This record gives sequence, C-alpha cells and structure tokens, in this order.
Amino acid sequence: MATDRVARRALDLHHVTVSYGPRPALLDVSVSIEPGQLIGIIGPNGAGKSTLVKAILGFVEPDFGTVQVFGEQLSRAPRRIAYVPQRGAVDWDFPVRVIDVAAMGCYGRVPWWRRLGPSEHREAEEALNAVGMLPYRDRQIGELSGGQQQRVFLARALAQGSEILLLDEPLAGVDAATERTIMRVLRNARDQGRTLLVVHHDLATAAEYFDRLLLLKQRVLAFGPPATVLQEDLLNEVYEGRLRSFTHAITGEHEAVSE
Amino acid sequence: MIKTALAWTAAIVAALLLGSLGISALVGRDLVSLWLEPWTLPYFHKGVVGGSLVAVPCAVLGCLVVLRRMAFLGDALSHAMLAGVCGGYLLMKLAFGAEAHIGGMVIGAVIASLITLALIAFVSRLTRIKEDTAIGIMYTGIFAAGVVLVSLLQRHIHIDIYHFIVGDVLGIGDSDLWVAAVVGALVLSMVVLFYRQLQLASFDRIMAAAIGLPVVLIDYMLTTGVSLVVVSGVRMVGVVMVVGLLVSPAACAYLLCNRLATMMVLAGLFGVTGVIGGMYTAEWFGTSGGGAIILFVTFQFLVVLMAAPRYGMLSRWLRLRRQLPQDLIEDVLSGILRAKGISPTLEAIRAKVAQPGGQIPRVLAFLEHESLVRRDGPGWALTDEGRVEATRMRRAHRLWESYLHKTGVPDDQLHDHAELLEHVNDPDTLAYLDQILGHPERDPHGSEIPRPVPVFEHPVPLRQLAPGHRGQVAVLAPAARGLDLSLGETVIVTAHADGSWTLHRETGGDVICDDEMADAVLINVVQRAQFA
Repeated sequence: MATDRVARRALDLHHVTVSYGPRPALLDVSVSIEPGQLIGIIGPNGAGKSTLVKAILGFVEPDFGTVQVFGEQLSRAPRRIAYVPQRGAVDWDFPVRVIDVAAMGCYGRVPWWRRLGPSEHREAEEALNAVGMLPYRDRQIGELSGGQQQRVFLARALAQGSEILLLDEPLAGVDAATERTIMRVLRNARDQGRTLLVVHHDLATAAEYFDRLLLLKQRVLAFGPPATVLQEDLLNEVYEGRLRSFTHAITGEHEAVSE
Repeated sequence: MIKTALAWTAAIVAALLLGSLGISALVGRDLVSLWLEPWTLPYFHKGVVGGSLVAVPCAVLGCLVVLRRMAFLGDALSHAMLAGVCGGYLLMKLAFGAEAHIGGMVIGAVIASLITLALIAFVSRLTRIKEDTAIGIMYTGIFAAGVVLVSLLQRHIHIDIYHFIVGDVLGIGDSDLWVAAVVGALVLSMVVLFYRQLQLASFDRIMAAAIGLPVVLIDYMLTTGVSLVVVSGVRMVGVVMVVGLLVSPAACAYLLCNRLATMMVLAGLFGVTGVIGGMYTAEWFGTSGGGAIILFVTFQFLVVLMAAPRYGMLSRWLRLRRQLPQDLIEDVLSGILRAKGISPTLEAIRAKVAQPGGQIPRVLAFLEHESLVRRDGPGWALTDEGRVEATRMRRAHRLWESYLHKTGVPDDQLHDHAELLEHVNDPDTLAYLDQILGHPERDPHGSEIPRPVPVFEHPVPLRQLAPGHRGQVAVLAPAARGLDLSLGETVIVTAHADGSWTLHRETGGDVICDDEMADAVLINVVQRAQFA
C-alpha cells in the first residue's frame, strides 16, 4: 500500500520552499530518505544547508511544501528528530554542566509537571558513556575542548532516543582524533538503525564518511551515493569555480577549498 | 568543599565584625544598638520584609534576564510602567471613584509593559531599526507620555514622580506588601513549574522548538514575569534602579556557580542580603532606602567580582601568576641537556639557567608530571621525550645563533640574543631559518645543529630511517627475503653506519642489513625519532 511505502521512509520532503526575501533559501526541495543511513549535506556557503536543518526541525515554517517524518506530519512527530547545534550557536558560558546538557535529551519525553527521575538520569549517563564523556559529567560545558563539547551534544541527541539525528557541522573545527571519535559514534548510531543527516563542509572526506550525499544549492542538485554526486562538472557548477584541485578533493590528498 | 564553605563563612563574619566596628565608631553607636535597634522600628521591618519579597523573585528571574542578555529590556519595562500606572489610576478613579487603587495601577503597569514590548517587536522586526534602538525609542517615549500625563492631570492623579523614579522603601504600605507577595508567589511558582522549559528555551532555542516546546509562549511568559517583578520593585527602589535589583544579584551568582538552579538560589540569597545590607546602611546613615539597597547590591557584586573562586579577578590574577613561564621550562630542559650525561642537581640547574631560579623546583615538578624529566639519584635526568624536546630547543638556539651571526651580530653577543630567541621555535619558523641559512650543519661556534627527521605516513624503506625509529615491517621485497624478519613484526632501528643497518626485533635479537636489503624492507613507522 502507498502509505506503507511512505511509512518506511524516515524523512520525506515535498516541494519545500523557504524564503527570507525574493531570493529563496530553499527552492522546491523534494527528497526521500530511507532509514538507517548516514547522509552528508554538502553545498557552498549560503546554499541553505542550515535552513534545511531548521525546516526539518520545524523551526522554520516553509512557505510551501511539507516535511513528513515516518509518514507523519512534522507537527505530530516532534520527538522523532534530535538536533546537534553548530558550535557557534551555543552560549558556552551558560551555567550548565555536562550531565545537565545530556539530561536535556530527556526533556521531550517527561511531561512538564513531572520532575526528571532516576531513569532519566541513568539514560543521560548512558548517553555520555557512549561518547566517552562520562568522566566529565560535572564540568561546566565551557571548560571542555571543542571536540568534547561536540560529543556532549551528541550524547544529548542520543539521549533523545530519536530515530533521526540532525547535526549542523559537527566536524567543523575539531582535531583529527576527535573527528574519528565523532564519526565512530555516528556510525554506531547508524548501525543501530538510526538515520543521520550531517551538514558537512569538507568535500575531501565526504565520500569516505557518508553513505549518501545531498548536494544542495537552494535546490537539490544531486542526491545519491558519493560517487554519483561528486562529479567534477557538477561540483564546478555548484561551487562556481571556487573549488580547486577537485580530483585531489575526491582522493583526499588535498583539502578542497570551497571559499 | 565544606572547608572552603567554612573559610568563606569565617571571612564574611570577620568582615562584618570589622566593618560594624568601624561604622559604630563612625556613627557613635555601640555594636548592640547598631545591629538590633533598627529592628524595633516598624518601617525597618516592613522595608526588610517587603524588600526581600521583591528582591527574591527579581533576582531569580534576573538569572534568565542575565543569561538571555535582556537587561536593557528590563530597564525599558520599568520606565514604561509610569504611563500604565497613570492609566490604571485614572480608570479606577473615573469608573469606580477609587483613589490610588493599587490593583488597577499594577494591572495598568503590566499592560503598559506588554504594549511597549509589542511596539519594540513591531518596529525591530518590520523596519531596519535594530532592537536596541527600538527599545530606546519606545521606552523613553512611553515614559515621557506618563510624565506628561501626570503633570497634566495633577489635580486628579496623585502620583509623586520623584518617588516613582527613586523609590520609597521606607514608606511601604500593607498593600504594597500584598502586591509583592502575590507577584513573588506567582513568579516563583512559574519558575519552579517551568524550570526545564525556561532553561532549555534560554540555552538552545532550536532544540526547544524541535522537541515541541512553545518557545514564543515561553518568551511571553518570561517577559510578563519580568514586568510583574519590575512593577512590584519600582515601589521600593524606583524605575531607574529596579534593573539593578534584577541583574546585580543574578550576576553575582553567575560568577559563583555552574548550574542554573544553583544560580537562582544564590541570586535570591544575594537579593535578600542586598536588601538587609541596604536597609541597615540607610538606617545608620539616614539615607534614601532605595539608593542604599542598590548601592549595597552593587557593592556585593564588586566583592564577588574580586573574590569569586573561579571566575573572579583575584583568582584570575593568581592563576596567571602561578602559570610557569614557558621560557623557564625550556631553559630548565636545555640546562639538563647541557649537563651531558651527568644528572645535574637543583643547584647545578639553577647555575645553568640565566633567569631568577625561585620557580625551578615547581618547573621540575611540572616536567616530572609531564614525564619529560625523571629523578636520578640526587639529580635530574631527561626522559626520552624530554630529550627530544630539549634537542628541539638546542636546534632552535643554534639556528638562531647562525642567523644572528649571518646578520652581523658580534660574536660575543650571539649567545645572549639566541637565549631569548630560542623560545621562538615553532616548526615553521625553524624551517624558515634553516632554509635561508642553507641548511647549515654547524653553528658559528662549530657545534652540530641537530636535525629533525621527517614524519612518514606510508611505509618507507629502511634506508630512509634513522636510529630511534620504531615501526612494523610492512613489505619484504625479494632482496630482503633472506632476512630473519616477518611481516607485521615490530622493529626498532638501533644503528646505522656506512652501508650497514641494525634492526632490533621486539621479540628479541638483532638483524643486520646492507644498503640493498635496507631498500627492500618497508616499514610502517609508528614512532618517529625526532632527532637523528
């Protein structure tokens, strides 16, 4: 049945258009994402990657089009998507400890009149453990390194127990060792059947890290396995010649320059 | 934890005692009458109780105001009230003939605040005027409307603008207490009930929205709460200073803790101590109550700003002072290296380091903790890592000497200059010096300049390695088949002399290869020897 087929998809975007003026941030974005995949969202600056994330989260109302999560309207499924913010979007001086941030993952499940109970605290601790941050549970979040901060927010997303995880540039500005740790956690989550959408800036590693790539520039220009998305002429068109040494980008010998 | 708390309590009690001794001398009253006499005055009671009833919810909501950077908005809300108070006064008088009806005035004030908020949002969203300017325009405009209204209708409305501006904590009546109590109960139960929602919406708005929290509603709830506490605070300390009651205690707490809940409790405490301290000050020196309260709250903030254990100025200063200078660390390392094999004692190291040596024991403790040096009998020796680090320093020193020599610095000054410059030693700098000097092997004094060995990311032939390199055998080409080596085993390059390479196998035994064999053994380097 048709509904059955739709229900098996994690995420369905139909003709989503979002605008902040005459120039749309997203134009006619239609994409269907199967569950259990690690998907990279790539595209130049201003391509609407963060807007796409916000539209999927329901934080931005599309001018037109719908977002469906496991066949349901977004508004009826708010807890099925977890979100890891961009580093720059967080106030690192905020008085919260690592464990408090992880516990936020449980907020969506606990009704407002109830306090967080021992089972929620346990879940928060388990999530921290999964990303190797349990030893830091009582630190204030500003006292951590960039990679550790990223892992704490990852733990929060895991604690939400959502089937879909949205991550906005989780690998920006972290060192190589942290990048490996984060990717391992993401792959584990994928292997447990979760669907992950990751905004990613580094074309050099995109092919290696993701099952599918979504090339975005207001519209969806390509969506599929890395080999079919990372076509030289396509990328040159999208990045308007700002992409140097493309072949090196694919083989990972040089970092692609997308500025 | 308990120790520090006790120490703090002792410090505060001592400060209070000393301070009150000084004040008792100043105002000519003995200690007992200084502390206890005010409590016999009814207005003092009312001031402390009423002030606390206002200060606690102000401070608790103030935490969110501080974290959301809304302090200016709080200021705006307090000013905008005046028009609402007039409106409420007028309406109640005309409709019911009630003079100065407190409920009417409070509701009017809240409505005026909300209208101000709506106007600010309207202007800043729909035009190119940014929010801070919109706030500035709207609150002064509405405040001015209130001022004009009061003077225009002064025969009908009896509002003392002076008290409105600076407050009148000594003239608090029962109705004010009731308003403060009701507002306080409302606001505090709102914070307790919706703590998580307020926290998450302040910390991560997008996630709050994503899990289905009504973030806009939470914003309105918070601003309504703020205008409520501001309305009840204006009676005590006036429109200008009420924002101090809102943010100063919260800022004190912000400097002291790492959890929002703790911050709120602490802020409430600071609010109460601020009111009590202010009331005493006002009583002792016979000053304006509102002014004294805000002065005391500000004084508290300055004390906390100085003395806060982690985020205070004093601890920052101590931390900076305690930090060991990198120069000294590096000088100690090179000092031990220059001792050539004998492990120098503390005194010997002191003699080799050009700087004042008071911190050297702490430097050694730090280096030992970082496992760069170890104790060796009465003296100190470098570990392998320490030797690498010290050799890097030596390379920097000698490269700088060569460079200085080349630029024409007299020989007798080379060392002193290089002693300073050797601390400028990041890899790029050294590579640059090395290059412009034409990769020298010896410095101007004829000493050898140690050379780093490059890092390899792929298997490399043994012939390119130097003693100290450790790695796994990755490829054995035909020419190397006769050697007693197997794929994957770990070996260390131990020696290299003309045409002969010695590999030490971790499982035991040495293997010797000639140049041809050394070309045929490829090794995955896992640990590099940084200096040959």
